[in-house]
Amino acid sequence: MTAHAVTLASVRGIDDASVHASVDWLLRVVGAEHNMWTRTGSFLHLIKARLDVSHEGWPWREGNATWIEPTAHTLVALKKIASHYRGPEVEKRVRDGEQLVLSRRCTDGGWNYGTPNMLYFDLPSYPETTALALLGLDGVNDPGVSQGLDVARKFHAETKSSLGKAWLQIALRCHGKDVPTPAEGAFISHDLMLASLELLGHPKGNYKLFQVGGRA
Amino acid sequence: MTRRKFALLSGAAIVGGYGGIKAQKLQKPPKLPDGPVGNSAVAVIRARSYSDDLASRMLEGIRQCGLDVRGKRVLLKPNLVEFDPATVINTNANVIAAAVEVFHQLGAAEVKIGEGPGHRRDTLDMADDARYRALIPKFESIFTDLNRDDVSSIKSFAGEEDFYFPKTVLGADLIVSLAKMKTHHWAGATLSMKNFFGVVPGSVYGWPKNKLHYYGIPESIVALNRQFGRKAFAIVDGVIGMEGNGPIQGTPKPAGVLVMGSDLVAVDSTCCRVMGIDPEKVSYLRMAADLGHVRSERIDQRGETIASVRTNFELSHDFKDFRLA
Repeated sequence: MTAHAVTLASVRGIDDASVHASVDWLLRVVGAEHNMWTRTGSFLHLIKARLDVSHEGWPWREGNATWIEPTAHTLVALKKIASHYRGPEVEKRVRDGEQLVLSRRCTDGGWNYGTPNMLYFDLPSYPETTALALLGLDGVNDPGVSQGLDVARKFHAETKSSLGKAWLQIALRCHGKDVPTPAEGAFISHDLMLASLELLGHPKGNYKLFQVGGRA
Repeated sequence: MTRRKFALLSGAAIVGGYGGIKAQKLQKPPKLPDGPVGNSAVAVIRARSYSDDLASRMLEGIRQCGLDVRGKRVLLKPNLVEFDPATVINTNANVIAAAVEVFHQLGAAEVKIGEGPGHRRDTLDMADDARYRALIPKFESIFTDLNRDDVSSIKSFAGEEDFYFPKTVLGADLIVSLAKMKTHHWAGATLSMKNFFGVVPGSVYGWPKNKLHYYGIPESIVALNRQFGRKAFAIVDGVIGMEGNGPIQGTPKPAGVLVMGSDLVAVDSTCCRVMGIDPEKVSYLRMAADLGHVRSERIDQRGETIASVRTNFELSHDFKDFRLA
């Protein structure tokens, strides 16, 4: 929620003490698995999932582990606010967060909630989390991003999920990819959250809200 | 202390700790407490296929357990986790449809369905894949996505001063855990008690509901059942269960049963015995032994005997020593 507030403040040109306090809070929060015990456990293969726990990322709630969705939203927020925020910490956390997202990519090339494997079995990616991860990786030049975009395009063509499709439209457009424009009247959903995302993902929508340097 | 000495001592401590844990696992666990006063009824009803008359089988089991639902607001809580056409992750749609019919027939004032999946955001899309929309009459009008429902807080739960639950859950008079009979790579088995993870709202705790993992999976299962178990009934879909690397990547395992009862600890213990798992080795059941009955002599088995329906589910590597003798 704080990440969304910072993103909105940024696109509306708000740069005051409360925004800086929110950014300070985001910079303080780290995934709880980024500690000595988990890193030692991971090194000794005592953890049931093969995870790179060397990066910090962001959890859903303080004191919990890092996941893709909160990390992606925070990356969007911090990248947007970076030019207004003095100090090297933003840049450092952004680079580390991007590495975390890249390290959590599933073997199929997309992303799920943040665990690419469990008990040495690979887990599949999902449309909505693939889209969110790509939003967090906006501006990153890495083969993982290109492969992720291919998976996103495939998901967009195949998924029945309105939520997944809406996030994919936003992410693909932010990355400058062509996405078929929905036919007139093909949306909007009755669900307010979903309708908002569908409108954001429209070619004339405010999808740039999520882009690095983009203005709504 | 030199770096070499520190490394050696750390290594020794880790090996010692690991050995201690292993030795503890091999020890025979202490005897379980007696549990609540009186015995618990659990019905094991045979249902070989989803095309059987599930409603009449369910009715038979509910009557054998003596459940009265007249005038109650009933919330059916299926297990909808993810969808994979190659396996059987979720409570079958026919079981849910039968439950809707049966609870109406038994005089419930209202029958709703609610679920809050832990991995995926688009609950209705998954419900579509699992054929809930196609096979459950008026599904969308009676379904609530518990991840996005309005919430209210309760005091002192899972280490939090205020913990939020969906109003649909808090307002129900009876919650029916319509669980799937599956093995689980963290808990050993996932049955009617673990199914309560789905009442924790993702809008507050995220996807996955990582707060529960940090509190401890067995601890969270017990806490949720301490909170809701008194107004709960369980119907476990074991027509086709899942064995091996459950709860998502296992393989289908026909067990041909529906297992029901008001004591969810007793229902899960019975399911474990049907699956060839020793319930006294399942940590969440041991921890819940004051809430309900684990020991077979305290469970009044109705319907089929366990011996007649027992079919050993393949256990994942960490739970091989859970096999029932």
